[in-house]
Amino acid sequence: MTYSSSLALGRQRYGQRNQNAVSFKDTTRTLGPVSNTVILIVLACVLGLLYLTQVTKTNAYGYHINDLQKQQTSLKQEHDDLEVASARLQALDRVKNSEATKNLVAAAPKSTISD
Amino acid sequence: MTPPAVNRPFLSPTTRIRVWYGLLAIIMAVFVVRLFYLQVIRYNHYHIAALQTQLKQYEIPPARGIIEAHEGDQVVPIVLNEPRYTLFADPKYVKDPAQAAGKIQGNIGGDYSQYINVMKQNSRYAVLAKKLTKEQKDKLDKLNLLGIGTREEDYRTYPQGPLAAQLLGFVNDEGQGKYGLEQYLNKELQGTPGELKAITDAQGVPLAANKDNVLKAPKSGDRVTMTIDIAMQRQAEDILKAGLDAAKSKSGGAIIMDPYTGAIKAMANYPTYNPGEFYKVTDANAFNNNDVSSPLEVGSIMKPLTAAAALNQGVVNANTTYFDPSRFTIGDATVTNIEEDGGPGTRSISDILSLSLNTGATWLLMQMGGGEVNQKARDAWHDYMVNHYQFGKPTGIEQGYEAGGSIPDPDKGFGLNIQYANTAFGQGMTATPLQMGAALSSLVNGGTYYQPHLIDRTTAADGRITTKQPTIIKNGVVSANVSTTLVGFLENVINRNHITYGMPNLRSQFMIGGKTGTAQIAKPTGGYYEDKYNGMFMGFVGGNKAQYVIVVRVDQPGITGYAGSKAAAPIFGNLTNMLIDNFGVLPKS
Repeated sequence: MTYSSSLALGRQRYGQRNQNAVSFKDTTRTLGPVSNTVILIVLACVLGLLYLTQVTKTNAYGYHINDLQKQQTSLKQEHDDLEVASARLQALDRVKNSEATKNLVAAAPKSTISD
Repeated sequence: MTPPAVNRPFLSPTTRIRVWYGLLAIIMAVFVVRLFYLQVIRYNHYHIAALQTQLKQYEIPPARGIIEAHEGDQVVPIVLNEPRYTLFADPKYVKDPAQAAGKIQGNIGGDYSQYINVMKQNSRYAVLAKKLTKEQKDKLDKLNLLGIGTREEDYRTYPQGPLAAQLLGFVNDEGQGKYGLEQYLNKELQGTPGELKAITDAQGVPLAANKDNVLKAPKSGDRVTMTIDIAMQRQAEDILKAGLDAAKSKSGGAIIMDPYTGAIKAMANYPTYNPGEFYKVTDANAFNNNDVSSPLEVGSIMKPLTAAAALNQGVVNANTTYFDPSRFTIGDATVTNIEEDGGPGTRSISDILSLSLNTGATWLLMQMGGGEVNQKARDAWHDYMVNHYQFGKPTGIEQGYEAGGSIPDPDKGFGLNIQYANTAFGQGMTATPLQMGAALSSLVNGGTYYQPHLIDRTTAADGRITTKQPTIIKNGVVSANVSTTLVGFLENVINRNHITYGMPNLRSQFMIGGKTGTAQIAKPTGGYYEDKYNGMFMGFVGGNKAQYVIVVRVDQPGITGYAGSKAAAPIFGNLTNMLIDNFGVLPKS
């Protein structure tokens, strides 16, 4: 018996003709190229939606900011108007010609600080 | 037996799928190429086109700084901004001008035919009315007229009306400050414009998500607080006006200042105007603050300065007497006095001031030259006028169009000796009332020349306050002793002449001193008018020390008598009473 025939005999003990001597089954599940593409597209869509949501939200804040700025401007304008009105009401000419001033009576000083 | 014929497709399914793939690929390629062309090759073109509709770029105008002044212990605004509205038309969109004009006139008044003419102009922007109030604007907005709109603009408003008009100046339609403080501080008051650059929606609202948006807030102009007290200013203006009317003068001015800081407390001018209606002024001279912009030959109010210079040089002292011949011949000219001065006699330095001796002032100048008017005297007196009293150059007060006056060169020209003799009593040189007030302040405060100023402090937009500190231009204008001596001399002038000056009830518990000036007015062609004079008075009021320095100017009074004594001095007297009664002048202790 040659060395090779002895090997052949050894293989025949576990297998028959056309049968692999070693049985191997890969249990790891992998995704194929189609699945990967689909997932990528879905992911891109989700990200796109997220981006759009954020942009829309930010722009909505922009409108809110715009409204607040309008309010601020309006209040500032009101403040300025009141400041002008206040200054006009306290103007010397107005005070001088007011009814209250017309009713004042002149008083002559009776003494000075040095007296 | 022949098998039945099978209808085989022209192309196999695989081939058909490949053809469709190919077609799809070609269509996709067309799209890709087209997109590449549009987005890459024509990028700039479409980028600009998109920005033109989406990008809004505005300049945000800053608010002009407010001007304030003191009112006793308080600070009150005297110049503010008020929004007003400009009514405009875009004639292209106004279909029926007559109807629109009728509605506008019905709501805000105005000229109906003028409105129609404006709306028929071949323009896209035609102004129908300016300075409309908010109420008027609201009425017009409700009409909803096609092609008619309003634009908001800030205008200066003056709650105190014409008060301190020349000091303040005004702001013209281009937003530029003219005259007074508005001109001098135009840059500080204007502020810095802001900028808004943003991608906006159809309504022009900026989209916050754009990272390239630029929003630079405008920086408002400085808030300026003046040194003047509005109550004092108002009373000074009233007293000046009454005094000018009494003297039959058409114009004049008055200054009240603090001699220990150079702060101007009041500065009145007449004629005056309302800066809110500056466009109604027909004579532009009303815009001038003549207290700082119109130098004149000041007359005898110069004599205290001449006396102080001689005293300070040590060529005379407080007790010096001399024989006054009542006439000096210098070159081919003669210096004389007025008849009331009593003719030749022995005089003191105090007499020179109380009798207002032209020959006395000339004699003082002679002493500076060792006994005659010569080069030495001219140089010494020139040095005092220019380097001690700061004549011949603007004081630097915060006013537009300040003038510096003129002092003759001591070395160049003809008739220098008589010219310099004239300057010793205030002729042949010019100075502004403000320069005279600042110089007198230095004489009565112990010898320190403070720069006159109108600004107390400025508040920047970020709240930073800059307080103006008194600026010393020169120490040792005269010595403290000379200052004390001169104060006494000027008190003596009032004590001896107060009846003539229209101040019958002199308030002896207060320190009041001063000097009149009556100056002939120079002709533009040379020489002097025989019958035209300006009256001036320069003095002070206080208790133990001079609290206020006052300068009064009356242009060409129409009453008889010396302009300084009869026209300007009574105004000075009324101003001193006003200051004593209302503004806390402390009596002597």
